[in-house]
Amino acid sequence: MKKINQIIYMSVLATVALSGCKKFLEHQPDDRSELNTPVKVAELLANAYPHGNYIPFAEAMSDNAGDKGNRSGNAIDITNESPWKYEDQVDAQLADTPPYYWNACYKAISAANYALEAIEKGGNTEAYMASKGEALVARAYSHFMLVTFFSKAYDPATAASDPGIPYVTAPQKTVEGSYRRGTVAEVYAQIEKDLEEGIPLIRNNTYRVPKYHFTTQAAHAFATRFYLFKKDYLKVVDHANAVFPGATVAASLRPWNTTYNALGYYELQALYTNSSEPANLLIQESATSWGTSYAEYNYSLSSEVQKIFNPANNPIKRALAISSKVFGGTEFFLNIPKFRNHIVKETINASFGEFYNMIPLLTAEEVLFNRAEANVMLGNNPAAVTDMDAYLSKRIVNYSPTAMKFTEAKAMAFFPGMDVKDALVGSILNFKRQEYMHEGIRWFDIIRLKIPITHPYISGGEVITLGANDPRRVIQLPQEAIALGLEKNAR
Amino acid sequence: MEKNYQRKLRRLKYGLGAMLFFTFFCFSFAKADELQGSAIKTERLDNYLKIIENAYQVSFVYDAAQINKEMSIDVPVKLVSIRTDLEPLKVKGINYNIVGKQVILKKLITFKASRDVVVKGSVRAAKDNELLPGVSVREKGVSNGVSTNGNGEYQIRVKDGATIVFTAIGYKTIEITVGTRTSIDVSLEEDISQLKEVTISTGYQNLNKKLFTGAATSLKGSDIKQEGITDVSRMLEGRAAGVSVQNVSGTFGAAPKIRVRGATSITGENKPLWVVDGVILEDVVNVSNEQLSSGDVTTLIGSSVAGINADDIESFNILKDAAATAQYGARAMNGVVVITTKKGRVGKPLISYTGNFSTYLKPTYNDYNIMNSADQMSVYSEMARKGWLNHSIASRRADGGVFTKMYQLINTYDATSNQFGLANTPEARNGFLTRYAQANTDWFDTLFKNSFLQEHSLSVSSGTEKSQLYFSASYLNDNGWARGNSVERYTANMNANFILSDKLSVNFITTGSIRDQKAPGTVGRVSNPVEGKYSRDFDINPFSYALNTSRTLTAFDENGKRENFTRNFADFNILNELDNNTLDLSLLDFKLQGGLGYKFNKHFKYDFLASMRYVKSGNEHKVRENSNMANAYRANGDSYIQDNNRFLFRDPEHPELQPIVVLPYGGFYNTKDDFLKAYMVRNSLEYNNTINDDHLINVYAFQEMRMANRQFRSNIGYGYQFDKGGVPFLDPNIIKQATLNNLPYYSMGHKYDRFAAFMARAAYSYKGKYSFNATGRYDGSNQLGTSATARWLPTWNVSGAWNVDTEDFMKTQETISRLTLRATYGLTASLGSATNSALVLRNGAALRPYSNETESTMNIDYIENRDLTWEKQYETNIGVDFGFFKDVLSLTVDLYKRNGFDLISPLRTSGIGGQFLTTANYADMRTKGIEFTLSGKIVDTKDWGWRSNLNFGYNDNKVTSLKSPQNIFQLIGADGGPQEGFPYRGLYSLEFTGLNHDTGVPEFINEKGERSNKVYLQSDVTKYLKYEGPTDPKLTGGFFNQVRYKGFTLSSLFTFSAGNKIRLNPAFSTSYSDLDAHPNEFKDRWTLPGDETRTNIPGIPDVSTVLGFPGIYPYDSYNYSSARVADGGFIRLKQLSLTYALPAKMLKSIGANNASLGVVANNFWLIYSDKKLKGQDPEFFASGGVALPIPKQYTLSLKVGF
Repeated sequence: MKKINQIIYMSVLATVALSGCKKFLEHQPDDRSELNTPVKVAELLANAYPHGNYIPFAEAMSDNAGDKGNRSGNAIDITNESPWKYEDQVDAQLADTPPYYWNACYKAISAANYALEAIEKGGNTEAYMASKGEALVARAYSHFMLVTFFSKAYDPATAASDPGIPYVTAPQKTVEGSYRRGTVAEVYAQIEKDLEEGIPLIRNNTYRVPKYHFTTQAAHAFATRFYLFKKDYLKVVDHANAVFPGATVAASLRPWNTTYNALGYYELQALYTNSSEPANLLIQESATSWGTSYAEYNYSLSSEVQKIFNPANNPIKRALAISSKVFGGTEFFLNIPKFRNHIVKETINASFGEFYNMIPLLTAEEVLFNRAEANVMLGNNPAAVTDMDAYLSKRIVNYSPTAMKFTEAKAMAFFPGMDVKDALVGSILNFKRQEYMHEGIRWFDIIRLKIPITHPYISGGEVITLGANDPRRVIQLPQEAIALGLEKNAR
Repeated sequence: MEKNYQRKLRRLKYGLGAMLFFTFFCFSFAKADELQGSAIKTERLDNYLKIIENAYQVSFVYDAAQINKEMSIDVPVKLVSIRTDLEPLKVKGINYNIVGKQVILKKLITFKASRDVVVKGSVRAAKDNELLPGVSVREKGVSNGVSTNGNGEYQIRVKDGATIVFTAIGYKTIEITVGTRTSIDVSLEEDISQLKEVTISTGYQNLNKKLFTGAATSLKGSDIKQEGITDVSRMLEGRAAGVSVQNVSGTFGAAPKIRVRGATSITGENKPLWVVDGVILEDVVNVSNEQLSSGDVTTLIGSSVAGINADDIESFNILKDAAATAQYGARAMNGVVVITTKKGRVGKPLISYTGNFSTYLKPTYNDYNIMNSADQMSVYSEMARKGWLNHSIASRRADGGVFTKMYQLINTYDATSNQFGLANTPEARNGFLTRYAQANTDWFDTLFKNSFLQEHSLSVSSGTEKSQLYFSASYLNDNGWARGNSVERYTANMNANFILSDKLSVNFITTGSIRDQKAPGTVGRVSNPVEGKYSRDFDINPFSYALNTSRTLTAFDENGKRENFTRNFADFNILNELDNNTLDLSLLDFKLQGGLGYKFNKHFKYDFLASMRYVKSGNEHKVRENSNMANAYRANGDSYIQDNNRFLFRDPEHPELQPIVVLPYGGFYNTKDDFLKAYMVRNSLEYNNTINDDHLINVYAFQEMRMANRQFRSNIGYGYQFDKGGVPFLDPNIIKQATLNNLPYYSMGHKYDRFAAFMARAAYSYKGKYSFNATGRYDGSNQLGTSATARWLPTWNVSGAWNVDTEDFMKTQETISRLTLRATYGLTASLGSATNSALVLRNGAALRPYSNETESTMNIDYIENRDLTWEKQYETNIGVDFGFFKDVLSLTVDLYKRNGFDLISPLRTSGIGGQFLTTANYADMRTKGIEFTLSGKIVDTKDWGWRSNLNFGYNDNKVTSLKSPQNIFQLIGADGGPQEGFPYRGLYSLEFTGLNHDTGVPEFINEKGERSNKVYLQSDVTKYLKYEGPTDPKLTGGFFNQVRYKGFTLSSLFTFSAGNKIRLNPAFSTSYSDLDAHPNEFKDRWTLPGDETRTNIPGIPDVSTVLGFPGIYPYDSYNYSSARVADGGFIRLKQLSLTYALPAKMLKSIGANNASLGVVANNFWLIYSDKKLKGQDPEFFASGGVALPIPKQYTLSLKVGF
């Protein structure tokens, strides 16, 4: 009996031990955080933005990059050379490459999706609503950037058959998921759905650092870009008006002809991507060597490209203030100080750290340009002219509203042989290209409007040309995504 | 049968000696002898009882402990009646009582007058006639016993006519009937079979060897102790087949790289599990494969074994195959090293003292391949000609030597004397340089000393039959071989056993150790894959400094004062820096352990074990104000320095201003602390029985829970003024500088380890011939994350052994005295490095430049991987143990195959799920190996003895599935990297194709398969790399010999390893400064076109050539080329020792039991290594930081026992 009792005691003990085990083993292995409050969901959403940089390849693919001649002192970097030659890049672990940016976008999307899942679990309560709005708009943004780089630009005629990119709406919980590309039209429909559902939920006052989040202004600004691509011009104008209620346009623009004009190199560099600059609507940090290298990259702002800043080369025949801020001394270092390196160090005495740049993703000028272009497309030319005047009033030193007024005539004189619509759009793009030197925005216009490009070598010989329908306008998917079974882009 | 069962229960209930009673029912076995006629015959009692049972249909009930059923009894041949027939029992003192059909037998209580006698005597070993202390002397059949004292003497009071039993482990037991003697001296024969059949300690159980079917190596602590070697883990080198020990750093506390049967994991730590007295020894910090050879400070606290006093160790058991490690289930993949510490022994207190006095020899330039100062100066002149050392460049260098100093002097104008520091004339310059060209500084002599290390260990062992106590204390002091290094360690160990009753015993172990260590200040190393370099700022490791610093530099100037050169734009003198930039490491390790054993009966017992361990380690990095590291923050001499000194601060609010000094006063006081609190509780039940001598059964089960909480914290103390009474001076800008670089000045974090395990194991042996073993274990851990499914894992194992020597057919020969065949198959596992079975989120600060822009963010570290599981492997082991010539020679050979699967490795995904690089269980690895041990006591007489042991292990592993992305840089480093189809760490090289004819620039096959001087090291096209070989040796082993003549013992240990490749220390660079020391092969360097046909040594490029290489680093790449690889094989005379044991006569005069004096040479002689190494130690990774090579060491060892 004694023995039987012992056995009973033992088994009771073992049962207690076993049931205690569950709790015992549920302890987290380290100080990881848990996603269980509205505040934490909001903090997770700081990562719902791509922290990779598209500028290096977007800029090098565009006509803003010229060959500096591969001379001693220039950095020949694969992240600069490959896109200039329209060669596919495959190293996803190398910052500034398209595969790296692809991963950065999907990483942002997964943060948004985990946040949305937590909001769902939290019962979709009011406390979560602002975050829900941010998550939806951020998810739409990342998908939009992906579809823009990795699929054909939206064309109403072919969008329903052009391959899109996987639109991810739920967190993946396995090592690899199963995805399909869908079509550009499907992706656009999803983006539109997320965007329209998200914008009304956003509350600017919930953000600690609003410029790093989708405020209503930033969300509307993104909508102007989206609808411009979608060629839904009325909506472009509507959303642009929501960004600039009343007559606030000019006040929101970068004061190039006044404040900026007086700044030194480092001051301008520091201010350009600062959150205190009203023109910056959405900024994000990004691991990149762009800020360190863009001045010395072999394929960048060459003296040939620099000519776009000449007074003769724009419709109003005046130099914009930005042209006086091209620094560098020799051709090999021509640059406009727009990016300040932020060095993240791991140890106290580290000689090098990781380089970050703050990238302005959405800015006031773009909204203005988008509205102007949309108005032209809608036939509302005076509104476009008004916007361009507002722009120039902030760009030309000693601006005279009469002598320097932008007119249809000046546009048509600058683009002889074009109709007024094309001349106006051409003029807008002319200023936009100058404005966004080093920022990669030019590429969006190139693919959207199928602008052909040539990349001549300074030494002569072969000229790399990118025709209006060249398949290389669509960046190849990362090799790992192709390995998963996603359809390759044509080459 | 049922009735009998009932009866048995009743008796148990009455508690009449419950567990000792056995009832025997003899019907079933009855083979009724034929009833024969009258007369008397002699019969065994049990046979006789069977006869009666059959005849009268009764059954007998008796206590087998009281009544010896095998006793002979004179009985009538012919049965008459039950009572008559039982009468003969009374003659033997057995009474009977007939109750119905039962006969109860009882021993008659006799009141025979007994007389006590006192017996004295001494016990010696028959072999060498040495007195044996600690021999158990018992009166047979009674619980009365003593032990011999230190002089081998005993005194026991026994009953008249008693028999005395003498037992000692390792000796044959003898029994002597006292008779009328009062003095009995005995000598005990050694018992070889008993030695071989000592139980195997698995850490959980002490298991009869007959029931043990696994591959394990048992080593006695005293046999393998290397006097003068302070870390017990290093003592395993060359001692056990299949255990490889690579001394990647010789600094105290730095763990050697230990592998049992090679690596099992691609990303994991691959360290064996250390078990001390049944408790798993948790590491304070986990040090990874790569970290071991990094030289980082954490390596010094990476080895918990460093706190163990080698003199306290009774034995090591290295459990190698799946059967041996089965009880560790999901922790066992990398093998287990079980350490058993000494326990108190019965007898009067035995006091032992061991003192070791060692000295380390300074390294010399003879051992290394470094240019003398004259040759070095001629290299500098070439550099000067090629534009590297011209006035404007050299005078402003952040780091500079003789030339920098010369130009700085030329630039210095002294207004009072109206003179420049040095006239800018060729004569003055030559004069200045001549002094340094002739300096020939011996940095080894300056930075190393023939140090003195002393180790004292004192232990007392004492006990009675009811309680035993062992206490030891030790002190170690190493005043430092390399400047800036020193260690002090104290250990204490107490082991107490109390036998409270026949059933209940308790055991307490308390151990503690305290360590104080000093090392030169160091910061973590960082890798720069673009240029292909590892670098460490402010490295002042004396060994690296001596190896890499030009001999033209001098430590002292002409006046004997310390001479400064420039480093980080500030004055630098290595001696000054070693004095002013130090690491103070302190470690407190305390363990309390208690055990309780309860024997329900002689077969069935329960054990309880609980332990608590508390470790506190602190690391203070003191950077005093006059150190170079502090002064570098204050170097702002001119605008050039201001622009280029990375330690100055450019305030983002004032971007146009010059950078400013942010550490105006003081230095740094940086602290780092690690804490560990570990708890363990185990309940176990063991059933052990031998039935009819034929069936050995052992069943064991336990339940165990472990818990370890780790905490770490660090703090950067800015502006601490050591010279001004320890007051911090804080410039807010320095905090701002750090904050803006997203570098927090303090940090703290935790790790929590929770572990539960259940195990059951059954072992059975039939007549000691055939043994079978089956084990199942179920483990649960929290380390995989919060997912409830991933955390559990069952493991299992089956094994068997056949003791062929017990078979009859083996009895006919004499050559093979022992032959056992063993076979094992089972599943073991280990926890991988991944913890993401659920989403892993970590908070952080957004990486933005301004404080008003940053915010707390939550980052996704890993997305959920719901399929995450443990790393696993199936292991097959076939082993054979031979004993030849009465076990004079023994041979063990094991063959094994391991199929590792579900191994964790980084994996590239499409990225669409949000994680491009993830960790998942998909890699597979295969390992095959053989282990061989031949050992024997070849000669063993009273005066002469010769013991020998040759062992080696060969291990070949291959990664069979791996999709992990590797770039070139990850594979060409000294640590190597994994690739599918190759070993788990293979060394790869850029294939060197020769020097360019025109420029002398080295060329390689690049990532495109073309011959080029440009290799993109971050490329993941690795197929053009040349595979050199594994970085871990395939073959490791040792050869040990010990020759004894009378009191003298000479032993030697050779270790060897082969089959691996090593990367030579990097010596080449695109540009050199006047600080660099060049190896002698630079004398053969390329200088003119055409030289490439006779040499592979790249020359020094001129400045204009280098300017033509934007973004390429061919000279750095050369360090990673096939030209810079050597074979790792070596043979080393690891230890040579001569010991003299003082003879008994001399001992008497000092009152000691034993005393011996020894001289030991450790790490004595590298007999063979690849010539290409030119002095580079094949085991040591010169990584700077706190890493130092294993020195040559001479030790005087003194042992006395009282």
